[in-house]
Amino acid sequence: MTRTQRARRSQRGGAVSTLIGILAFVSFVSLVLTQPSKLAAARPGSIRGRVEIRRAAAQVERRPGVADLGTPAARDVPDLLRSVVYLESAPRGAFETSDGGHAVMDQRNETFVPHVLAISTGTTVDFPNSDKFYHNVFSLSKTRPFDLGRYAAGNSRPVRFDRAGIVRVFCDIHSHMNAYILVFSHPFFAMTDSQGRYRIENVPPGTYGVIAWNEGTPSETRPITVPDGGIAELDFTLR
Amino acid sequence: MICRIARLTAGLLVCAARLGMAQTLPSEPIALAGGRVTVSGDVSVGYGSADPGFFNYTDYEHSALRLFRVDVAAAVKAGPHFTLLGEIRSENLDTVRPYALYLRIRPWTNRDFDIQVGRVPPTFGAFARRTYANDNPLIGYPLAYQYLTTIRPDSVPASGDELLAKRSTGWFVRYVYGDQTFSTGVPLVSAFRWDTGVQAHATIGVLSVTGAVTAGTVSNPLFSDDNRGRQLVGRVELRPVAGLILGSSLARGPFVSTAAAHAAVGDGHDSEFTQTAWGGDAEYSRDHYLLRLETIVSRWRLPMAVPPPNQRALETPPRAVSTSAEGRYKLRPDFYVAARYDYLGFSELTGTTGTLPWDAPVTRIEIGGGYSIQRNLLLKGSIQHDDRNGGRLLMDARLVAAQLVFWF
Repeated sequence: MTRTQRARRSQRGGAVSTLIGILAFVSFVSLVLTQPSKLAAARPGSIRGRVEIRRAAAQVERRPGVADLGTPAARDVPDLLRSVVYLESAPRGAFETSDGGHAVMDQRNETFVPHVLAISTGTTVDFPNSDKFYHNVFSLSKTRPFDLGRYAAGNSRPVRFDRAGIVRVFCDIHSHMNAYILVFSHPFFAMTDSQGRYRIENVPPGTYGVIAWNEGTPSETRPITVPDGGIAELDFTLR
Repeated sequence: MICRIARLTAGLLVCAARLGMAQTLPSEPIALAGGRVTVSGDVSVGYGSADPGFFNYTDYEHSALRLFRVDVAAAVKAGPHFTLLGEIRSENLDTVRPYALYLRIRPWTNRDFDIQVGRVPPTFGAFARRTYANDNPLIGYPLAYQYLTTIRPDSVPASGDELLAKRSTGWFVRYVYGDQTFSTGVPLVSAFRWDTGVQAHATIGVLSVTGAVTAGTVSNPLFSDDNRGRQLVGRVELRPVAGLILGSSLARGPFVSTAAAHAAVGDGHDSEFTQTAWGGDAEYSRDHYLLRLETIVSRWRLPMAVPPPNQRALETPPRAVSTSAEGRYKLRPDFYVAARYDYLGFSELTGTTGTLPWDAPVTRIEIGGGYSIQRNLLLKGSIQHDDRNGGRLLMDARLVAAQLVFWF
């Protein structure tokens, strides 16, 4: 092959490469431009159902208190039947950072109220003390370790949760006080009501894995398909 | 020796880290019969420097810095009025002892009033009810509750000179009258044994009042009495604002055993030889810090026997005063630092060789910290400096200790 032939072949190859590049760019741009319109066209649906707790977890009892000089004051019983239902993996675009707002976990009659709190990342949880005596809220969870120290009735201290995970909350003074905070990096979760019912709203159509969680025990991941603008039903039985 | 401590500390750390990673240990009391029966446990293993000055020896003849202790406590609720509570304890794998066993009666469910009968929690002072390793921010104990003075209930000196001659030997002492075997003296208040009797406790608003009648005394709690008298003990506690506790305690009861009193001065006097103790304490906590102060004064009336020739009689009852200040500050959720200052002083006594405190005064400073591997698994470390002003034993010591504490 002469030098001229090699030059022509090289020029043709360059032209092909350029054409492929242009086509790829056009395809990418058209994909990007059309994707939002497709998403916009899809109407979000919801997932609803019921979580049945066959055997409720036992509440944490006080330690025997052999060194106490008298009977300790009666305390409230935490609601251990509330569960959290959430999507194991969330649809694209769901992981946008959000301000999260505020939630409250009260300390009342030696009990955290609510016993379980589900929040999204960026949420600040306020811990007011409604008892006449001190509490010392703390957590050693890797997700968000904190220690609020001791503060009197009527005062509150905040903690912001920026990482997803499970945070176990305790009181350093009253060892039987404990609670859970489940922090999600997406908004597709819901707490059950007093009848065990839940509803996760605004879920883009698609197939997802769903988990129900109660007192540290998660269910197996259950698949479900959310129809365009429709409702998918999914019940769970735990323990 | 230092190498050995370092090795053991490293061993404790590795063990603790493994346990921490495993996260499999129980973290809550075991509840049975729908919560009517609860069982909890406290396990602590500590290792520290050898203590040839016997600064940390307890009345069970163990060093508080080298203690493997297992506590199991249980409460059985029998309706709204009755609860049976008990605790067994073993130290350094010795005999398992019943530390507590009593019935708690609440006559009126809507009133904060309880009666406790049996081997009951200590009424006197503040520290005695929080001697569990997870309640004690350091490894050592306050001197008033642990340091063995040269006073014994079952063996009494014939003279002031004999008492002075035994200064600093509270870990191994005997006198002319009473039991002739060597044994330990008593601390001002025992943190290692509970007394037996009847206790009543009431709370009205910010005020709590506790009174008890027991077999022994605060220095020498007993299961069955060794003389013909009962101790009366009372405590008043005030909580004017959240975080502040002010307490005062008073106790008085026959201390010397019938046999020792008989040997020293004959029959019919044993109820005269009393221990009288007064204690004042304060606790304040806020945010991440906690401060505690406690002072205890104790006086023992011992038999004033006719002294041997050329010796002076024991003319005044020996008295001891302890002062303790303790602080704890949490630097992180899983880490705190703590310190305690302690002083134990003794009244002066005149013997043929001069006037001296009847036992050698001791000062203790302990500084340490604790790291929570998990909520109920704590690794503590401390450095302790003890200084004894006089006596026959080692005058001062610098001791290092590590302790791993697990509770559920």
